[in-house]
Amino acid sequence: MTNMEREGGVTREELVQRVALMEEMIAEGRQSTARYGWMFVLWGLTYFAAIAWTMTLPYTEWAWPACIAACSVVFGIVRTRQPRAGGKIDNLRRHSLDAVWQVIGGGIILYLIAVIASGHGKETGYLASVLFFNGLANGVSARILRWWPQGAAAAIWWGCGTAMLIFTTRAEGIALFVTATFCGMILFGLYAMWLERRDAGMVQAHA
Amino acid sequence: MTNMEREDGTTRDDLVQRVALMEAMIAEGRQTTVRFGWIFLLWGLIDLVGVGWGELQPDFRWVWPITISAGFVLQFIIFALRRKGGYRCGGSMRGRSVAAVWRMMGLTVLLYVVAAIVQHKAGQISYIAAILMFVGMAHAISAVILRWWAQGLVAGVWLAGGVATFFVPRSYVLGVFIAEMCLGMVLFGLYAMWLERRMSSEVQGERA
Repeated sequence: MTNMEREGGVTREELVQRVALMEEMIAEGRQSTARYGWMFVLWGLTYFAAIAWTMTLPYTEWAWPACIAACSVVFGIVRTRQPRAGGKIDNLRRHSLDAVWQVIGGGIILYLIAVIASGHGKETGYLASVLFFNGLANGVSARILRWWPQGAAAAIWWGCGTAMLIFTTRAEGIALFVTATFCGMILFGLYAMWLERRDAGMVQAHA
Repeated sequence: MTNMEREDGTTRDDLVQRVALMEAMIAEGRQTTVRFGWIFLLWGLIDLVGVGWGELQPDFRWVWPITISAGFVLQFIIFALRRKGGYRCGGSMRGRSVAAVWRMMGLTVLLYVVAAIVQHKAGQISYIAAILMFVGMAHAISAVILRWWAQGLVAGVWLAGGVATFFVPRSYVLGVFIAEMCLGMVLFGLYAMWLERRMSSEVQGERA
């Protein structure tokens, strides 16, 4: 088939252009996630801080609210200072990913507030639920971006969440939560930051 | 400003076309959800059957595994029948994002429910609340992507139910769950099916 031949009213050249555009949009979405790798690291460290507080410090009922509030403040400051991404990145995928993370982030905070305010913090189910919420967010993002490393992060969250419903002692629960946070959030965040640095290096080399 | 005037190299016609394209894409995404309205109705009814059966035979442990398996079989059969009838999922970016949300939500809830049932943790309040939150989050994400207030309202109902579960007396939790199924699943499913019927009759009217 030559470039000018038509298939269903569309030339081969047009099809190639469309595929290239779709690939470019997926790559932009991944770059955009990589650009926000620091957020994963920040939230991972916040989870660690909250767990450490509940194990070692008094007023344990304030551990999660205080850590999440402090993290939200830092998050807000860094986000406002970070220059906005270019217009190209503000595509439909970006809009969908923003919706996923904003809704699930807000949902987790709402859920934790309800758990703590109602005094159900001793149930093992709630920590497992938090792991599943994180798995859901990573799973949807991975599916939208067709990005297997984020799919692997989702699998880690789901796996640890499932294990937390099976291994129910406090020590086992904490070990699983720390493992999921380290692998699914901090390691993934560092990987995303490394990708961002590599891409920036490539752009500079081309310039 | 006339049609030929430029602002940042973009004509007014270009902007109008872009807005029209975006609106068309949002409408296409909504149509995709509307086409799957029957799934909400199906799972709402299946969950209500599970609740009713569980109340009739509280000692029978296989109520939910059987009910959920039957739900999947029914969904598979209806999908196959509709595919034969020529129904196809929308291929737009928004449609695919919404499909990704619901597929992952289904997978998450399935893993969560199976693990909790096997380990007999299904009675914990935080577990029941989390299921309502999962569905509420999926509705909320879809509503934001599609900019659809009706689905946003349904998301609010689910999330409110999830929070309320923690605070109402234990004997009312089942009532909250049933109310969620009736309002957030069955009613929304019926509304989506009504929209689908209205849209298809409009299309037929235009063709005629």
